[in-house]
Amino acid sequence: MLRQYLVRRLTLLFFMVLLLSLFTFTLSYLFPGDVSTNLSGIDSAGFNANDQITEKYKLNENYLLQYFAFIQHIVNGDWGLSLASGQPVFEHVKTLFPATVELALYALLISILIGIPTGVIAAAYHKKWQDHVIYTVTLFAYSTPVFWLALILIMAFCLQLGLLPMSGRISLLFEVEHQTGFLLIDILLSNNTYKQAALIDAFHHLLLPSIVLATYPTAVLVRFTKDAMLDVLDKSYIKSARAKGLNHSQIIFHHALRNALLPVISQIGLQFSTLITLAMITEVIFSWPGIGAWLINSIYQRDFPAIMGGLLTVSLFVIIATMIADILNTILDPVSRNRSHGQV
Amino acid sequence: MAKFKLFNEDANKSPLKHLWRHFKSNHSALVGLWVFLLLAILAISAPLIAPYGVNEQNAQALILPPSWDDAGQVEFILGTDGLGRDLLSRLMNGATSTFGLAILAALLTTAIGVVLGVFAGLTRGVKSSVLNHLLDITLAIPSLLLAIVIVAILGPGLMNTVWAIIFALLPQYIHSVRNLVAQELSKDYIVAQRLDGANKWQILKTGILPNIYEHIVVIFTMSLSTAVLDIAALGFLQLGAQAPTAEWGAILAENLSLIYLAPWTVALPGILLFIAILSTNLVGDGLRHALQKRRAS
Repeated sequence: MLRQYLVRRLTLLFFMVLLLSLFTFTLSYLFPGDVSTNLSGIDSAGFNANDQITEKYKLNENYLLQYFAFIQHIVNGDWGLSLASGQPVFEHVKTLFPATVELALYALLISILIGIPTGVIAAAYHKKWQDHVIYTVTLFAYSTPVFWLALILIMAFCLQLGLLPMSGRISLLFEVEHQTGFLLIDILLSNNTYKQAALIDAFHHLLLPSIVLATYPTAVLVRFTKDAMLDVLDKSYIKSARAKGLNHSQIIFHHALRNALLPVISQIGLQFSTLITLAMITEVIFSWPGIGAWLINSIYQRDFPAIMGGLLTVSLFVIIATMIADILNTILDPVSRNRSHGQV
Repeated sequence: MAKFKLFNEDANKSPLKHLWRHFKSNHSALVGLWVFLLLAILAISAPLIAPYGVNEQNAQALILPPSWDDAGQVEFILGTDGLGRDLLSRLMNGATSTFGLAILAALLTTAIGVVLGVFAGLTRGVKSSVLNHLLDITLAIPSLLLAIVIVAILGPGLMNTVWAIIFALLPQYIHSVRNLVAQELSKDYIVAQRLDGANKWQILKTGILPNIYEHIVVIFTMSLSTAVLDIAALGFLQLGAQAPTAEWGAILAENLSLIYLAPWTVALPGILLFIAILSTNLVGDGLRHALQKRRAS
């Protein structure tokens, strides 16, 4: 049963990746400019080089063969050159993407650690003052534009109080070798004499962007957890638990929480798309050297190979993250494997 | 365990009246609705009632603080920006560009999304499965990234942003409407209707649509708040509205260099954005709760 489900999911994953690559390939025709330039990133090449590119991407053949050539180069790690820097796009992605993932993961961690307990509290004290306070705060967090929030926090903590640095991942004083791309892990792996100081500095740099980034997902998670809890608390088995004489906290922790958290897990998977969107804006404001800031710069510079590469990476990441959350949800929750099970 | 609904009143109020009664009892939602309507009226009438032109420069009044400040002048109630343009007029016109266009984008998305969503909900088999997977893939691309790709194709500009936002909002919208239709289709009264020999169009017209349009309004408010945010975000990143256009996000980005000298030029557009999104969310939440209450009562 589970294996059958996994096979179906993986087939779906395959088709989604296929469609995504097709979409990316189509973009090379949709973007302004030459197809050969958009694919290879080599602008106004000489006569010979032009022929080479045409040969490499099979531009004289039909679209299907062109697409296969494109896929082949993507799989081989040849994503063309960035028009802005002349460097291979794949190298850029390799160094920049972990920075974004790092930021997004910490933000997600914050939002899970704060969001779920807060949501449970809001549901436990439904229609009491605690619930109203939480509702108001989440509504405000939900409605604040992320770039404005970032600016306010920079004004307050960086410019007025001078407590936190306002840009970058780590102070330029520290030299950390690029190994995994995840800065905190890289620092721990490096044999720097000032390991501790570097770690604290990196943490300071990380604090403000991850708080800004976590605000919106936290609000979403609080609301979702609360709704899921209230749904479960309305079920008959909770009523019978109450009739048995269990008290409020026993019902919440032993009966309601486990069932309410199941839909929350799949909701966390759906957060990745929003998270990346917000991360792009946050990165621009905090000059975070991630893929989002790079992508937005690529637009300013009309760097089409970079946009295509960035789109492919980010979307692949979101698709796989969503899929993992989905599969995790299925393993934990047998009812979701087949909707007809467990229904009355 | 079935719950019976007994109507004790002599005259049964229509569902819409019930909904309004529940909505009215929620004061914050009501305030949200008033603010929302006020902003909508402002968005329509801003060019007429704004005291100064959008790009009218007053060389003798550069970076004037708001009028309640000691250095402020009463002619410029909210002060002026670095080019001597009246901030109040720019912000009022910003309501048209940001809020008005967001409403337009959300309305267009609704029109397209409902048609496609209903179609997706009514189809079965391979066609629906292909459509769903297409939706899944577009849902996987982050909305801002999709908007950026579309801006890259069409070039920056306010109207192109609107198209980009419509495209970015559509997948989510179709998905929600499809789920609503599918949910409604599985209910007993639709089955009864089908057994009576009603065709698809009749089921849709008399069965499904009257039961889901209120939920569509809730989805509309949700996509509206996203649209406001996205228009402003793209304006802020200078991918949407370009420099002289009075759009809240663009005004904010324009005055970013003045943040030390004239913090109000950055604070005010942000506050307005916040109010616009907050009021939209309040209305949406209020509607959602009213719908829940009506179902429970």
